[in-house]
Amino acid sequence: MLSRFLKSREAKKLFRDKSAIVAMVVIAGYLLVALAMMFDVVSRDDCANVVGPNSVPGFFLREEPERRYEIARTSLFGKVKRALEKSDPEAALAEVQLGKLRVADKTPAELQAIVDEAVAIQDQLKEAESLDDDPEMLSLLETFESITAELVAPLSGSDRFMHGVALLLGTDAQGRSILFRGVYSIKVAIQIGVVTALVSVLIGAVLGSAAGYFGGWVDALVVWLYTTFSSIPNLVLLVVIAYAFQATDSDVKDTLLPVYIAFCATFWIGTCRVVRGETMKLKQLEYVQAAKTAGFGSMRVLFRHVLPNTSHLLLINFSLLLIGAIKSEVILSYLGLGVKSQPSWGIMIRDAGNNGDVMTGFFWQIGTATALMFVLVLAFNILSDALQDAFDPKHL
Amino acid sequence: MAIVLLVMLLLRVRDPVPGMMGKQATVEDIANKREELGLNRPRYVQYFTLLQQMVTFDFSQELWTQPGMTVGELLRKSVPISLLLTLPALFLTTVISVCIGMISAYARGRLLDKILVFFAVLGMSISFLVYIIFGQYFGSYQLGRLVGQPVFSIHGYEPGLQNWAYYMLLPVLISVIVSMGYNTRFYRAVMVEETTQDYITTAWSKGASTSKIMFVHMLRNAMIPIITRIMITLPLLVTGSILLERFFGIPGMGDALLSAISNNDFPVIEVFSSIFAGLFICSIILTDVLYAVFDPRVRLQ
Repeated sequence: MLSRFLKSREAKKLFRDKSAIVAMVVIAGYLLVALAMMFDVVSRDDCANVVGPNSVPGFFLREEPERRYEIARTSLFGKVKRALEKSDPEAALAEVQLGKLRVADKTPAELQAIVDEAVAIQDQLKEAESLDDDPEMLSLLETFESITAELVAPLSGSDRFMHGVALLLGTDAQGRSILFRGVYSIKVAIQIGVVTALVSVLIGAVLGSAAGYFGGWVDALVVWLYTTFSSIPNLVLLVVIAYAFQATDSDVKDTLLPVYIAFCATFWIGTCRVVRGETMKLKQLEYVQAAKTAGFGSMRVLFRHVLPNTSHLLLINFSLLLIGAIKSEVILSYLGLGVKSQPSWGIMIRDAGNNGDVMTGFFWQIGTATALMFVLVLAFNILSDALQDAFDPKHL
Repeated sequence: MAIVLLVMLLLRVRDPVPGMMGKQATVEDIANKREELGLNRPRYVQYFTLLQQMVTFDFSQELWTQPGMTVGELLRKSVPISLLLTLPALFLTTVISVCIGMISAYARGRLLDKILVFFAVLGMSISFLVYIIFGQYFGSYQLGRLVGQPVFSIHGYEPGLQNWAYYMLLPVLISVIVSMGYNTRFYRAVMVEETTQDYITTAWSKGASTSKIMFVHMLRNAMIPIITRIMITLPLLVTGSILLERFFGIPGMGDALLSAISNNDFPVIEVFSSIFAGLFICSIILTDVLYAVFDPRVRLQ
């Protein structure tokens, strides 16, 4: 069946389209990443753990001096200083950690010396009115940074690599790695997209073809059902369904199930409508009449003869629904009704908005979420266009 | 009708009263309140009461969150605001995207067309949220800082037409940009379909000018899909742009519905959803009427 599909004229047309090939490669890349997430390359804990100071920009960019001072002051230095003041410095120091960073393997006395030195510089820095222009203060700041860096135990091998990767796109307001969260969200998005698109297309195909093929009361029922569902604005229905689930006290609300159900309830309509129309057309064709005359049961005719001939429509609809699901997931999560207890692009965008990242010009979090989502959705848009051109050129 | 039923059933998944009464409420209190609100009646009775209220336009139920205010008042307050936001947006979007769609169809296959289509796809691929957040940031915050005084409001709303530009123009623009991608592509497809028709060839051979063919012959014939498209979005006009209203603090219908949902405000959700359904049915009827106006071949029976 697959080889027959690949040899068909339409498939060849599809594979001649260069942009479609690029889009497919991109989507395959995303799928691989999502698969890797399934095997815990980046686990949910990695996304929740603090990996560094908060709101660090990505690509290890240097920041404004004021901000650099702030980071150097608040990272391990502050914690070590407080630990040394405690009655049992040894024990307190052992507990100090920032993500994977731990205190350097030195005696409390040695650490105390470093801290004292740093405090002396800190006092000078405090007196300075502005750190921005004064070259003297800038060099002082650099010494301060290097001294506080001595407090940190150097990471070795893979840990160091992972730490670098985690900080590649900076951290959010809680010091969590933006890259990890963004990449983990790929899995969440693809999972939601594939599951809902698949289920919706299945529901739509079965109901639509049954309505188109049998007519009569089946048709009336299905048409009534989808007019009912489609007469409520999509977003409102999504919100109401998600809300209804949120209200239940079971464990269900922490899983993705409410999101799946909300999406499937609204997304099957389009597919159903298209498949119904196509089935009504196919029903009149000679080969279906022939199959009926040959004495095949209506189920067999429907599933063996009619439905396979709507498969191109199902494919296009699948691709379109996937886009819809990914985009709606972001909006629902943003409203606090979608994904919970795991990262998602919607949650990242919400965090960026709520923490005032955008207002202060810290675009790393929202930028990462947007860019990852943009590329995926763009690839799917191009792919569905190509699919439509190849398989259903007359479509409006 | 079915919509009312559906929404009602969905809302009855959880008993809302305990949440409303707070943690101190005793079991008897809750039962009394249920009685008072009529929630202990059989469901079909509730359904028919609600239906009756809808048909007779009786919106006198009180809000649960703000006692003393009826749903009708809330509607009167929020609907015009939503319309002020969505009507200009719909108008601008349609005019601009029909024009771009026509240009694109006219230049089909050439560079201009490819660029336009590419931008449409690009625009479709960015999340609505991102448009809003960045629109708000650059449009109201940065632009305001640049000019020295606020050009557009960041959050909030005041009634009055003289304030319209300050509060509404930016959301309207954002909404236009967001829907541009989809609409342009759709109208382009419509127009491309039309350019292959025989009557266009006839018009060319008659010697009609390009602009006349495009704006008179083609536009008129493409009216049916355009109307359908507009009509589909009509009920959404009143819902407004839920997200836009949320972000810019505009107290329109979408915002009212969303806060009703988060506050468990039952009557509001029920009435609003029923109104959407009613509007939907009205817009379908209106579409058929407009078909007959624009295409004499369609006869109303």
